[in-house]
Amino acid sequence: MRTPPARRVRNALAVTLAWVAVCAALFPLLDMAVLVARHALPALRFKVLTTVTSGIAGGLANAIAGSALLVVFAAVIAIPVGVLGGTFVAEQRSGAFVRTVRMAADVLAGLPSIAVGYFGYIALVQALGWGFSALAGALALALLMLPYVVRTTDYAVAAVSDDLRDASLALGVDPTTTVRRIVLRAALPGIVTGVMLGVGVAVGETAPLLYTASWSSFMPTGRLTHSPVGYLTYVVWTYINQPFAAAHALAYAAAFLLMVAVLMLNVAARWALGQRS
Amino acid sequence: MAVSEVADGWRGRPLAAGGATGLDGAPESMPRAALTADARATGARSAMAAEAATIADGGGAVLSAVDFHLWYPGLHALRGITLDLPPSRITAIIGPSGCGKSTFLRSLNRMNDRIPGIVTQGRILFRGTDIFAPQVDPVALRRRIGMVFQRPVVFPMSIFDNVAYAPRIHRLERTSAGMWVRVERCLRDAGLWDEVKDRLRRPASALSGGQQQRLAIARALAVDPEVILLDEPTSAVDPVATGRIEDTLLRLAGRFSIVIVTHNLGQAARISQHTVFFLGGEVVEAGATEEVFSQPRDTRTEQYLTGRFG
Repeated sequence: MRTPPARRVRNALAVTLAWVAVCAALFPLLDMAVLVARHALPALRFKVLTTVTSGIAGGLANAIAGSALLVVFAAVIAIPVGVLGGTFVAEQRSGAFVRTVRMAADVLAGLPSIAVGYFGYIALVQALGWGFSALAGALALALLMLPYVVRTTDYAVAAVSDDLRDASLALGVDPTTTVRRIVLRAALPGIVTGVMLGVGVAVGETAPLLYTASWSSFMPTGRLTHSPVGYLTYVVWTYINQPFAAAHALAYAAAFLLMVAVLMLNVAARWALGQRS
Repeated sequence: MAVSEVADGWRGRPLAAGGATGLDGAPESMPRAALTADARATGARSAMAAEAATIADGGGAVLSAVDFHLWYPGLHALRGITLDLPPSRITAIIGPSGCGKSTFLRSLNRMNDRIPGIVTQGRILFRGTDIFAPQVDPVALRRRIGMVFQRPVVFPMSIFDNVAYAPRIHRLERTSAGMWVRVERCLRDAGLWDEVKDRLRRPASALSGGQQQRLAIARALAVDPEVILLDEPTSAVDPVATGRIEDTLLRLAGRFSIVIVTHNLGQAARISQHTVFFLGGEVVEAGATEEVFSQPRDTRTEQYLTGRFG
């Protein structure tokens, strides 16, 4: 039986279109990565990682430490809240409260990050009097991460087969332990994906931090409040506008480090998942 | 129905038909004496059975339904089930699709609690206690009445951990040596040990469907249940695997009370001592398997067994 010619033509057309779409999606990513790497690599010296910024030049040590501090802090807040919230919503399945939480998470995900930053400024920096600080910045970032973690956890937990729940409950295991030991384990790959998405978003955000963490060219002091913090995206955002080659180099170096950080997080997460199974 | 009427054709020893009395509204108290007599006969065979005898003396059926009704939203699924399930026996529940046999099975360990909108009426007694009484904790109940499902389900963990999962949660073993002994015993009881003993740390998902189902049986055994409910356990596995599972169940009969829902009449005839025929949410006939299959009292049972419907 030969395939009819018309069908073969349509098939070839569809495959070609699929390849075009793949290239269209990959090209900007690769182009950007190459551009950033080309500008960043000449500027990346070991000294850049160990010295703090001074004026329009210097190093990125303060920004690297600040970014790490803010993101880890935000993750520590957003991951437990998001995973527990998403699990709760998924296990409840329906009801007015569940619908409200899901809608709120979707709205929060669509909120402009500058609005979150301004909210942080009004509520945390001013009203609570924390000043520009790591705590205010981390909370603003956590708020942005939260919807990603909640929604992906929700989807991942809801996708776990009821057969697994039933099998555990039928052993006389209570529902809470069943969720903790079986459902979350089965949903873990999905949850990790959500957490990675959220961390990626947090690593790359600038706007919410401008109003909350502000900027500092010194290493983080360890004080949670009343102590501005530097971060990599600020360097990208500000230094690229300066009319100096040294500033541009620093901005590209910062952008490159951000890209590498996100890539490494993803690789590490996938590796960790692979080790498990 | 007299005791002498009923013989256990399968093993050629007397089987109390008492358990079957739910039928036709016969009083549930009647079979007790019969069961006791039976239990004595069995009791001579082993200490395990002697224990069963004591239990039988204490209350006859291990599980009894008394005029039990169940409604799904818009569907009266179980219509007054009255039925005694004998201890230390294999009871097969047969009937066409949608007759309520799986629903009934899932009522016995309150797995139906999880389905919203279900209403029940009547009683199900487990060792004399109504399982729907407010003081009964369904979680604790399910530990004593285990269940194996139609589709093989393995937890996303190793073979060993699948079996050790519930005993760990219930803290049934204090030492890891004890846990190893328990896991090996359960895998042996389920007839799976020889196939998996060299790869206990491998993911259970790598096992074949039939092996997964025997792993599910081993997992159910691991919490020392008194009753094991099986909902069409062989409908998703091949004939060879079905044979192994049937062998496993035959080995376990006598030590556990087993209730199996099956579409496979040959299976019911091969492994059960007791058969219950469900139709339209009611019990049409219940009795010794030999009797039900060779001399069904109800024409509908006969029609079903001869393949005229269902």
